[in-house]
Amino acid sequence: MSKIRTLMLLVITLMLAACSELSGNQGFAGLAASVDNTSDDEFLQPGPGDPLTFPGDFGPHPQHRIEWWYLTANLETAEGEPLGLQWTQFRQAIKPRPADAVAPPPENWPLEAAWMAHAAVSFDGQHQFAERLARGDVGHAGATFAPLQVWLDDWLLSEPSTGEPWRLTVEADGWGYDLQLANTSERVAHGDNGFSAKSFDGQGSMYFSLTDLDISGTVTMDGTTHQVRGKGWFDREWSSQLLKTGQQGWDWFALHLDDGHKLMAFRLREDEGGRDFRSGTWIAPDGTATSLGPDQIELSGEGWRESETGRVPERFRLQIPDAELDIEVVAPEGQYWNAGLYPYWESPVTVEGSHTGVGYMELTGYSK
Amino acid sequence: MLIRAMTSHYRRHPLQLLALALMIVVATMLWTGVSVLTGQARESLAVSEESVAAREAVVRADGQPVTVEDFVTLRRAGVCVAPWLETALGDPARRVIGIDPLAMACFDVPPAGDSAVGVAGELTGDPFVDISEVTGGSGRAEQSGQLSLLISPDTEFLPEGYQRRSFQLGPATGELADSFLLNLDALSLLVLFITGLLVRSVYHLGLAQRRSSFALLERFGVTKSRLQRLLAMELTLLTLICVVPGVWLGQALANRLGQGFGLALDSLFDLSLYAGEDTPVPWQAGLVMLVLVLGVCLVDRLIPERTGYQSKPSEPAVLPWWVWALMVAIGVEMVIWAFSLVWVFVGTALVFTGIGGLMPGLLARSADAVARRQSPGAPLGRWRYRELAVMFRQLALPVVALQFAMATVLAVQALVTTFEDTFEQWLAQRLSAELYVEIPESASAEGGSRTLADLNGLGDWHHVRRGKVQLPDINAEGEPVTTDLMALSPITSLVTDWTLLESVEEPWTALSSGGVMVNEQLARRQGLSLGQRLTVGIGSASLTMPVVGVYADYGRPAAELLIDGAGLPDDFTPSFQSFSVNPGERSVKDIGQRLKDEWQVADLVIRDNASIQALASQVFQQTFLLTRAISVLTLVLASLSLLVMGWVFFSTRSWYFHLLGIWGLQPDAVRAQLRRLALLLTSGVTLVALPLGVWLTWVLVSRINPLAFGWSLPMAVYPGFWVELGVVMALIGLVIAWLIGRQLNGQVSLRPGASLAGGGER
Amino acid sequence: MSETVLAAAALSKGFRSGEDTVRVIDRLSFTLSAGQSMAVIGRSGSGKSTLLNLLCGLETADAGDITVADQNFEVKQGVASPAATCQWALLRKRTIGVVFQEANLMPAMTLLENVQLRASLAGHRAGGEMHWLEQLGVGAEAHRFPDQVSGGQRQRAALAMVFAMHPEITLADEPTGSLDRQTAEEVADRLFEVQRQTGCALVMATHDQALASRCDHCLDLGEGG
Repeated sequence: MSKIRTLMLLVITLMLAACSELSGNQGFAGLAASVDNTSDDEFLQPGPGDPLTFPGDFGPHPQHRIEWWYLTANLETAEGEPLGLQWTQFRQAIKPRPADAVAPPPENWPLEAAWMAHAAVSFDGQHQFAERLARGDVGHAGATFAPLQVWLDDWLLSEPSTGEPWRLTVEADGWGYDLQLANTSERVAHGDNGFSAKSFDGQGSMYFSLTDLDISGTVTMDGTTHQVRGKGWFDREWSSQLLKTGQQGWDWFALHLDDGHKLMAFRLREDEGGRDFRSGTWIAPDGTATSLGPDQIELSGEGWRESETGRVPERFRLQIPDAELDIEVVAPEGQYWNAGLYPYWESPVTVEGSHTGVGYMELTGYSK
Repeated sequence: MLIRAMTSHYRRHPLQLLALALMIVVATMLWTGVSVLTGQARESLAVSEESVAAREAVVRADGQPVTVEDFVTLRRAGVCVAPWLETALGDPARRVIGIDPLAMACFDVPPAGDSAVGVAGELTGDPFVDISEVTGGSGRAEQSGQLSLLISPDTEFLPEGYQRRSFQLGPATGELADSFLLNLDALSLLVLFITGLLVRSVYHLGLAQRRSSFALLERFGVTKSRLQRLLAMELTLLTLICVVPGVWLGQALANRLGQGFGLALDSLFDLSLYAGEDTPVPWQAGLVMLVLVLGVCLVDRLIPERTGYQSKPSEPAVLPWWVWALMVAIGVEMVIWAFSLVWVFVGTALVFTGIGGLMPGLLARSADAVARRQSPGAPLGRWRYRELAVMFRQLALPVVALQFAMATVLAVQALVTTFEDTFEQWLAQRLSAELYVEIPESASAEGGSRTLADLNGLGDWHHVRRGKVQLPDINAEGEPVTTDLMALSPITSLVTDWTLLESVEEPWTALSSGGVMVNEQLARRQGLSLGQRLTVGIGSASLTMPVVGVYADYGRPAAELLIDGAGLPDDFTPSFQSFSVNPGERSVKDIGQRLKDEWQVADLVIRDNASIQALASQVFQQTFLLTRAISVLTLVLASLSLLVMGWVFFSTRSWYFHLLGIWGLQPDAVRAQLRRLALLLTSGVTLVALPLGVWLTWVLVSRINPLAFGWSLPMAVYPGFWVELGVVMALIGLVIAWLIGRQLNGQVSLRPGASLAGGGER
Repeated sequence: MSETVLAAAALSKGFRSGEDTVRVIDRLSFTLSAGQSMAVIGRSGSGKSTLLNLLCGLETADAGDITVADQNFEVKQGVASPAATCQWALLRKRTIGVVFQEANLMPAMTLLENVQLRASLAGHRAGGEMHWLEQLGVGAEAHRFPDQVSGGQRQRAALAMVFAMHPEITLADEPTGSLDRQTAEEVADRLFEVQRQTGCALVMATHDQALASRCDHCLDLGEGG
């Protein structure tokens, strides 16, 4: 582990441990295993019946502890080669800020929230990943909803003007991308009108998606700029506690099926003996979304793909009997670890079986 | 069988084997301890170096100070910059640096390295803290300093309106750290040198006693090379066995001393020693020792002409005396004229080597001369001095080692004592006020001053303001130099009693009328002398003031200047403010209450003189702990070896003490002779160690200290300590005499040993 | 017949050897007058050196009587009293000279200084030492150190030391044992010559028959233990 990484990890660990009364920590935005279920009254906990409000919910939620803006895309180069791409920006609050509170002045360099941005490109068996960190409230990183802007350093997701396609630019060390994102469908609110349960006890997060983004632009890697086109999936999610005690991590899938259906499905893995929590949303070609409860989804991993960072299941079998879906989800050859402060797996996938298609898979809690 | 014959000597003299083993163990312990400590020092200083090394910062092209907006602009333009906000907290002011660890993630080598993070993953606060803690954001800091934006060296692109500037992250401690390490290295080398001498001499003395049995084995057909191989094996085995506990003990020693050492570094460089407890076992130190022992003991074997056990146990100096004398002369000159620490060390090493070469011969000749002057009517006196001369020649190596060790101890003791004395006087002057009141950030210093001025019956008081000022264009590199400022007002008897190192007439009046005083560090570094005009950038103003005095400022290496607070420009922002107050007829409580009322605060930090004094003294005592410990341990080693050597040596001469008995001297009289001889030996060494020790003291206080730490000390000698050391040496002599005396009584054979054929050694 | 200076009566001395006690000297008696010489012969280990040690008080007999210059030492239980130890030391200082096979000299002192040291211990004022060195044929080497002269010269110097103290009795333990034949004879010649001149009694342990035959008496300790 490099010095700098150790330093960051330690600092963040300290921030989180010192500032939330938890006996341990959840890692950044729940990327590491949770330790304690102590509810922290100061942060707002989402619950069933909480509404989604727009456009405000595209912006930050300082009363909540964690949130992210998340984009995955299954693209093709001009030569027809598949190219996967991810961008995520996380916010982790150290202390909550009431809705009516004024942000502290930037000159004070307040330390009330930390931001982290991840970008990755998976192409031709390679996986490029970059991570950026910043403190909030000084302008180094942040988010606004009108117009939409989410930024950290020179990475920026923005809506040039209302109704226009969004633009996402990422510049990493030797690679980057510059994309136009045009939304072509309605927002999908997951779970109970946007409240997505994450355990049998009822805690969960607010969660909605834009499932049909038409994406075009350029991806630069190894000195070559590729023209790319394809489908994207954008998530907004916020909560104050994502994983409860005993949950190791999640297996999450967002799939575009060739027959026009879309599927979001995840399971939160329990420790030995616990009962995994499964949930998902089945989206018809016309945009009709159906929430899937724990009993409506079968998901199991088969085999292992080993690496120094950790091991993940080689393939997943995903069944939704109600939708007559029985598929195998497999990542292409290679390793797709986002090896940042908290390593996790992020890869494009292909779908075989009763349905075919492409999509993205995120696996956390598997790193050593 | 051969091995039995080889080892029979040690079976007959188990104590000799034990002595050699003990020497190796103690030597390994000492060396391991020293090298572990130096290693730790090196590591922590390397980290601090890394964290304070000269780097680059971004400044605005329009000359305005950079702000958090500039930071955001640059980051959002893709430039890797990180904030750096230095300020002082508390009194005595502690340098604290606010950093943003998250922003530093883009640096390949973080400007504040691992030193910022303690083992538990905390920002240690020594000196690095999260930037929010020094901005007033968390309410902890009184006042923030100037923000800087460090830029990653890899970054090439810079937006319009910004420029690069070289940036010194902290006071230039690089040179100081080097000096400190060099001091430690020199001491370690001295230890290694002395150790080598000692082990070699003990080993060779043992070998000398086994000469006849080797000769016998050779006559029985054991080839010389086979014998040598066996001897080498024997020594290797012994060393291997002894190095292990030595390394272990050394590590334990280092761990014990480590904490004190950490404090020393703390006080010198504002940095914590975070290495320590869990350092890996220093096997390299053991290896060095193994190589050293084998090297010094077996080196003769490699040279065919000088086959070891045929020659005398320790050859007298191989070079003519004038070569050694020349070495001493050159060394002394070098020490006097050297302008860098390295040359002082080289010079000192030359002097030591030269003296080491000269001394045994000189001592022996002196003893011979005294012997010649004894009247023929007192032949026993003559015999004693003749024997003494023999001993000085035969015990040349341990005698020289002991002399060096004693000189080192003397010098270190003188340095430390002088320092303590001087420091205490200085501290007493500096802390002449009884109370120190920190002025809260929110409070008005002027209001406080008015309140104090209006208090009847209050003793002397003054207002202290600390901050940073710039000395433009005074540096050779043309960079403006930032230095500490202390401003006092009004000037009262609290300071006018200070003993200044140099001053014009009526220095305090001169100070009040626009003069400046500088501390010794600043005077030395910038080569400032009285009357010289110094241009200082304070706030937005640039003042040119004559130097009216140089004051001593011990302990920390930072340069500082002192002005009358009345002359401060309005826009100067102090990083720390306090009042020093003598309560006079007023009670502490009363004064505190008045100030609280004036400032509308509930709490005030009021410190009394005694607590600050105690704290400061403690820190400074720790500073020299290591040096003192190493030198005392070296002395212990040298004394132990003299004991062993003296004992072994006297054993080889025991027949002659018998001869005295045969010639009719009563046993008590023989023992008395033995005692007198042993005392002559140790007091002789003490005598020659004294001038060397005094000279070394001078080197330390007048040459090494100014070069290393920026301040010098008055030269002082402590004859009381000489006496103490003399008593210790006398005790060693008596112990040797007692040991031999016992051996004489227990001896049954009255026949001279075979090795004495040929007239014995002289 | 002149007066008796050394007499032994029923002198016995043994050494423990494991369980047994080996008696090297068994009820030995003799008398020796001033000016007389006596050779002590016998095989190695027959007790020659032991006898000499007994006669100068360096060892204590198990039983018997020794009379030296009118002082009588009666031994009971083989233990010397402190007074006896002190008396013997005085005798060795002034009355009994001892010469060993080698290593009789202080190595750090010249031959002359050695003689001076020995004479002064015996209570003689400085002055006559050079005479004795010359008498024994090493006057030219007076200012040399022991390791700078030959073995024969060292033994002559050792004899000079003994005679310089004007002893009544000289005990010589193989004084020529480490010398070659010719040197040994020369040294022996000097020894007898000076012994006759000074009139002291000489007890000489030797296994050299020729040397023994030059003595007035011969005490054969035989096979020994």
